[in-house]
Amino acid sequence: MTWLTWRQHRLEGLTTLGVLAVIGVFLLLTGRAMASSFQQLGLSHCVGQTPSGGSCPDLIQAFATQYGLLLLFDTLLIFVPLLLGALVGAPLVAREVEQRTHLLVWTQSITRLRWLTVKLALVLGAGLLASGALLALLIWWYRPWAQLNGSFGNNAYDTTGPVWVAETLLALALGVFSGTLTRRTVAAIFLTIALFVGIRVPVASFWRPYFEAPITRIHPIGQVSGNPSTLSDQDWVIAQGYIDAQGNKHDGLVGCTANQTLVQCFQTHGAQAIFVSYQPADRFWTFQWIESGIYTGFSMLALIAAYWLVRNRLN
Amino acid sequence: MSDALETTGLGKRYGRAWALQDCTLSLPAGRVAALVGPNGAGKTTLLHLSVGLLEPTAGGVQIFGLSPTAQAGEALPRIGFVAQDTPLYKGFTVAELLTLGRKLNPRWDDELARARIEMLGIPLTRRAGKLSGGQQAQVALVLALAKRPDLLLLDEPLASLDPLARREFLRTLMEAVAESGLTVLLSSHIIGDLERICDYLIILSASYVQLAGDMQEIQQGHKRLIGPRQDEAAVASIHTVIAASHTDRQTTLLVRTNGPLFGPSWDVQDVSMEDIVLAYLSQQTRDRVPLPPPAREQIRREALK
Repeated sequence: MTWLTWRQHRLEGLTTLGVLAVIGVFLLLTGRAMASSFQQLGLSHCVGQTPSGGSCPDLIQAFATQYGLLLLFDTLLIFVPLLLGALVGAPLVAREVEQRTHLLVWTQSITRLRWLTVKLALVLGAGLLASGALLALLIWWYRPWAQLNGSFGNNAYDTTGPVWVAETLLALALGVFSGTLTRRTVAAIFLTIALFVGIRVPVASFWRPYFEAPITRIHPIGQVSGNPSTLSDQDWVIAQGYIDAQGNKHDGLVGCTANQTLVQCFQTHGAQAIFVSYQPADRFWTFQWIESGIYTGFSMLALIAAYWLVRNRLN
Repeated sequence: MSDALETTGLGKRYGRAWALQDCTLSLPAGRVAALVGPNGAGKTTLLHLSVGLLEPTAGGVQIFGLSPTAQAGEALPRIGFVAQDTPLYKGFTVAELLTLGRKLNPRWDDELARARIEMLGIPLTRRAGKLSGGQQAQVALVLALAKRPDLLLLDEPLASLDPLARREFLRTLMEAVAESGLTVLLSSHIIGDLERICDYLIILSASYVQLAGDMQEIQQGHKRLIGPRQDEAAVASIHTVIAASHTDRQTTLLVRTNGPLFGPSWDVQDVSMEDIVLAYLSQQTRDRVPLPPPAREQIRREALK
């Protein structure tokens, strides 16, 4: 069975390995360049300070100008787990049924549940191993940015923690489930995409900010100098705005004109205080594990459903 | 010794439609049985139920006393199965398909597999997708045979083959049967090619078993009666009339005999297997004939006369 799994998936496996190698080389080269620039510019002294002091803003600006485009690459990587789920997970069962080879392989001497178990163990295992290896590289690669911007509340959150591996598991599991449900490769690919987006986007947009209650700081007007926030750059700001005389919170600060001071601006809106809600940077790993747990839960559901379908609905 | 295949009240329903219903039959070990019926009669359903690809909706099926689903681990090694249109992994070479067989079957006979492939002149390095339809069917058959099964199930193996490929396929099959004495159940929508190689017949029509039994007994137990035009009621009171046709002067009946045939007005003739099968298949829409156990002794005695 191991041999059969390897024989059937060796092309996918080697392709993935090839893509991984290309990405790996790219990350190594750009990562080294970033790390040495970071050191040459002496940016490590700017880390952890409010960005007002000394030459730090200029230095950070210089670094961002040179390497900012690379963050686009990080954004692209978010699609890698989905791609794996759609191209490897979805055809896993669907292609067999489509080409009717399930009739051949399920009537050899092993039961079809064992067949599915071995296939899933090897394919999911390889997928997780690959994404884990890439994760290690990504964490190293992103370190300069992590020190400047943090990894919380931006794309790096998805590519520099266990969530990355959990998303790979989720995409593969949803792919396998979709394939057993639709029995058609193309339909399964579309269903995989729909399910993955349908789970990931709401979790990331609406649930993630509230895994733990955000901390809210309120500053009465008048005590605020120039910058209302005293947060570190690594914290994740969920919401900020002002509070009016009735105690209602308003997101954002609209309609300030250039010739007003900030205080004047607030006062024209009747603001009594400003607030900022945020997730402190040290919750990063807690959030990562919570979200990984959520995706793993969905993956388990998808796999259980796939088992049930293979056992009871396919022939 | 339990039968190779035994079903009791076996049925499979898809939604509201029964693909197979109330199927009770037993196939003794060592037989080569033809499962005959028109397309959509439930042949594939019966075979898939037998190899555990399907779970019955009603009744049960046993292979050498084992359930092919609940006891799949024990039953599967004993069943060889060749699905309709003989699906193979098209990208695998013949050698790789044999490796698949070797890896997935504890009773695999690699020597036998290689010898047969060589005898058939099929190159081991050729991809399955590049083989002719006949060769693909042969490879699928070799895969099933090298599993060393006790029961071989073949779903319409001849349907897509040209006459030459048919003959070669059947030759491979018969050699294997002669060597190992395995039980074979082979479905087809025609009886033609199977008559020579099969000794047991199961007629399936409109999701019911119409007839099942020893081929020779069936042939001897059916007669064609030709006589002056008359009502078949008198005959039907003793024998089972399968088909009746009337012209202005003449009545022709195909009957399953339940004893000696009387009546000097009838000219009694033997019937070909093909005619028997056709008669059963064409009466599918009429009321079904109940299935008493064939009056074997009766038939034997009659045959000896």
